[in-house]
Amino acid sequence: MSQYQNSSNRATHDINHSRFLVDGRGLSKVFGTLTAVSPLDIAIKAGERVALVGPSGSGKSTILYILAGLIPPDSGDLFLDSKSTVGLQPGRELSEFVGLIRQQLDLVPQLPVVQNVLAGRLGQWGLLRSLVSLFSARERDSVLATLSKLGIADKIDEPTSQLSGGEQQRVAIARLMLQAPKIILADEPVSSLDPARADEILRLLTGLADDIGGVMVASLHAPDLIREHFTRVIGLREGVLQFDIPSEELMPSVLEALYDLDQQPIPIS
Amino acid sequence: MTWTNSPFRSLDARRLLSLVLIGAFVWSLSSVDWRGGIVHTGGGDALKDFPLALFPPELSPGFLKLGLIASWQTVVHAVAGITLAIIIGLPLGIIASGSLGKPGRVRMLVAAVMRFILAFMRSIHELIWAVLFVAAFGLSSLAAVLAIAIPYAGILGRIYSELLNDVSEGPLDGLRSAGASPAGVLIYGRMPMVLTDLLSYGFYRFECAIRAAAIMSFVGIRGLGFEIQLSLHDLKFAEVWTLLLFLFGLVLLVDYWSTSVRRSLNS
Amino acid sequence: MITDNSKLVEATRGLRGITFPRVSLYGFLVLSVVSWAYIIFGVDSGLGDLFTGRSWSNAGHFFSQLLGLEGGLTGGGRPAFFDLGRWGETGKLAYKTLMMSVLAIGLAGFGVLVTFLPAARNVSNGELGGSPSLALGVLYHVLRLFFAFTRAVPELIWAMVIVFFLSPGILPGAIALGLHNYGIVGKLSAEVVENMDPGPARALRSAGAGNIQMLAYGIIPQAMPHFLTYLLYRWEVVIRTTVVVGFVSAGGLGQEFRLNLSFFQYTDVFLIILWYLILVLAVDLLSAFLRRMVLVR
Repeated sequence: MSQYQNSSNRATHDINHSRFLVDGRGLSKVFGTLTAVSPLDIAIKAGERVALVGPSGSGKSTILYILAGLIPPDSGDLFLDSKSTVGLQPGRELSEFVGLIRQQLDLVPQLPVVQNVLAGRLGQWGLLRSLVSLFSARERDSVLATLSKLGIADKIDEPTSQLSGGEQQRVAIARLMLQAPKIILADEPVSSLDPARADEILRLLTGLADDIGGVMVASLHAPDLIREHFTRVIGLREGVLQFDIPSEELMPSVLEALYDLDQQPIPIS
Repeated sequence: MTWTNSPFRSLDARRLLSLVLIGAFVWSLSSVDWRGGIVHTGGGDALKDFPLALFPPELSPGFLKLGLIASWQTVVHAVAGITLAIIIGLPLGIIASGSLGKPGRVRMLVAAVMRFILAFMRSIHELIWAVLFVAAFGLSSLAAVLAIAIPYAGILGRIYSELLNDVSEGPLDGLRSAGASPAGVLIYGRMPMVLTDLLSYGFYRFECAIRAAAIMSFVGIRGLGFEIQLSLHDLKFAEVWTLLLFLFGLVLLVDYWSTSVRRSLNS
Repeated sequence: MITDNSKLVEATRGLRGITFPRVSLYGFLVLSVVSWAYIIFGVDSGLGDLFTGRSWSNAGHFFSQLLGLEGGLTGGGRPAFFDLGRWGETGKLAYKTLMMSVLAIGLAGFGVLVTFLPAARNVSNGELGGSPSLALGVLYHVLRLFFAFTRAVPELIWAMVIVFFLSPGILPGAIALGLHNYGIVGKLSAEVVENMDPGPARALRSAGAGNIQMLAYGIIPQAMPHFLTYLLYRWEVVIRTTVVVGFVSAGGLGQEFRLNLSFFQYTDVFLIILWYLILVLAVDLLSAFLRRMVLVR
């Protein structure tokens, strides 16, 4: 089905890939007998906000994890900000480029909020500094400033486990703000939220991407949110690219067909 | 209890607690008499010889046979102790659960008294019971078995009473509406519902009973502990290692058995 | 009612038909019959004595002497537990015993703190970051075996061995108690790490944390409350065992208990039991209070 792929994109990035913050070529991943991602090209320019859509098992999360360096691809090349990341372990070097936020948030519940936010600095800090900070927080002012922007400055010393779901989400975003990566990846960031909260979270994430001058890639399902917050939509089914279109062209019929279990052809021109 | 009504905010509390614990540890170090030297005369040599004696341990057929017999004696006392503990602990646990008799003050009082008795039984270590029984009745296997059974009955009784209290009320109401007395509810309702848990917990304690039986050597009961004591006195460290490995194997075996039983009961 | 009955049926399911628990149960019943036969018909069963009356009157004498109701009194004929001076003297020993239990838990806790991370499978195989290596794999198995072995040998037997090397006092007893509890708490703590949600650690990794930073920020804070709770629970058990270990390691109440018993100073024995119960109760209450402070949520 990759005939729907936007071929003009493909032609350009061989000539000058430096324009792309994310430039993946022929990325693939197989888990056992399950093909999570068939060889896939993905190129994203600074300022773009990309939504990944597709039924569960379509490879959205796998792609995000590959971009985040958490899963090594079986094949293909990945350039982030024009640097090859093949063989780079997640951690220090990658964290300058990529930050990932998952639906589960993955905060450490036993730590106070300030430490969970400061974890965004771990890539820049030395070992000694990060150990000292556990006992007496460094850069407390910048944490406080970030949390005030998100409206939860008063929670700075609270145990993270005591915060509500929405507050914890802000803590995770605050961590991302301190890490300040150029590429923000979000795996189902709004799937368990009511529409108003979902709208707000996406606004925060895209605002963050805009401030840094980077890109955001997120997986989600709601077409109205996609049209409002994203510039581009990539549709996936069983690890294969189905379409890659500007978000305003995303019609409900397209999504319906993508999620259809009988795998009808997708009405894209 | 959530942190808001806890006396301390949990994070500060945790940090404070860590400091208190470290402080207590350092303080306890000061109670050790360091001046006399930690290692006593001749202890240094023993400290060197003892680990080396593991390579190899005593493996002569005669000694292995002795190890097997000692293991058997330990198992016998553990099994007898735990069965007696179940026999004593079950009725006491039923009384402590307060599920027998007419609801009311008397029943609550009896249950409270029984819980206190159970707490007393398990407060005193099995070896202290053993020392007391041997002083009272003289040295005998029965004294050792009883010494194991009493604290273990105290533990089992408490757990059993909690299990009996925690059953869901639905089926019990069914029995009550069919006219069953409290005893009927107990026999036809509570007991069958917790039977697997009762057995499961009994099996869990079996492993601990093995260790308890092994230390009954201290009052003179034959078994692995007794042989370890003898070999230590003769400074035959290789034999000590063999016996320690027998004990290790025995505990692993019983542990494996009881975990498998519990796993298949609970699955 | 139908669903209610099915719950009843459900509960006894494992015990019908030829199942492993059923076979085990019968096996255990046979084992217990054989064991009881062995004990009752054994040479030193003491069963015969139970019916002679002589042993019962011995026991009667013993317990009334324990309570100071007849003979065997020392120091002015007053039971020791009515003598404030004796309370003070034994109180010092009780304090020593308490210190021994704290030292034991401290030693066990320190040992566990140093070793529980490499003893968790998901740390040693690199699942939580780091790279797996042969050395880590070997270390994992060595530590797990060491936990199992120290756990399998009871405190008193450790104490018997250790008094061969160390001067008598509270230290050998504390080390013996510490070793046994090291094995128990070590295994439990390693299992906490193994059952831990890997999400936070992975998130820290993608935020740029190195191995040690990940342990410090992600794994240790999550494991710590469980670790402290286990230590406090074990402290309650340890205080009950300190007296027994004192029998051989000559520290605190245990040694005094033994001496008094062999000199037939039974009211002193009873006084020591009273102190012992006070210690047990105090430690239970203190531990319950401290555990509430660390509440594992």
